[in-house]
Amino acid sequence: MGACSLQDRRWFLRRLAVLVAGFGVAKDFVIPGPATGQTSQLGMPLPDELVEATIKRLFGNRQFQRGDDKIKVELPQIAEDGGSVAIGIDSSLPVSGAAALSHIYIVADKNRRPMLAKFSFTPESGRALVATSIRLATSTDVRVVAELSDGTLYSVTKPVRVTISGCDLPPQS
Amino acid sequence: MAEVGRVNIRLPSAIKPGEVIRVRTLVIHPMEIVQRDKANKIIPRNYHFVHTMTVSYNGKEVMRNEFTQGVSQNPSITFPLKVDKPGKLTVSYADTQGKSYEGSVEVRFS
Repeated sequence: MGACSLQDRRWFLRRLAVLVAGFGVAKDFVIPGPATGQTSQLGMPLPDELVEATIKRLFGNRQFQRGDDKIKVELPQIAEDGGSVAIGIDSSLPVSGAAALSHIYIVADKNRRPMLAKFSFTPESGRALVATSIRLATSTDVRVVAELSDGTLYSVTKPVRVTISGCDLPPQS
Repeated sequence: MAEVGRVNIRLPSAIKPGEVIRVRTLVIHPMEIVQRDKANKIIPRNYHFVHTMTVSYNGKEVMRNEFTQGVSQNPSITFPLKVDKPGKLTVSYADTQGKSYEGSVEVRFS
């Protein structure tokens, strides 16, 4: 019994060593050479931004309307792992016609960069629905903003409690 | 890491003409997040993540999505598609290293 568990432990440690080694190689591999052209600039970190600044940058001074009856947002109330929080968005607003839903934005108020994702719909989409998983740095409100082609904005806000941050890595030496 | 860029697309098992279907996609990608040093300063380098996803159906672009690092590792995206006629659905992802990854599937009516 004892020997067996010791072996298990050794096996586990070996696996761990392999994993760590693999991770190191991978990290070296993805660090790019000197920046060339515009594509390599896309991944450069941007300065921290407050959610008010993000909203102003994206939507200017336009007013938001409550969209709770038009947009259904599925988010967990408590997320154990902030690194992957499932979000589902489904809207009854039409995606074609004069006032078509054209974009959906996901904004997490307390993330370092609150703007997370932007989805653009066309009449060929048929319906404004989308699902993905997002990273949340801490317990925060998540806003889903729907932009219509005539400029109307609907927003829905949901609070999420996050147990483990999805954005903090141990500091690098 | 060898798998980076593998694209999976899943369609519903039964598709009727004119229906709006939910297409589930997954791309294997690290979606690196910004790292900080001991002084809590951001380490400036080109982080490797997917910034744009485009969906086209029979050669016509039907959806374009933009992501930041706020989207989880190995992003899975479910999106809608109105299928009036059968055809080829192509999903492609572009990342910050200038690479692009593509997957496609034939949509047929059952």
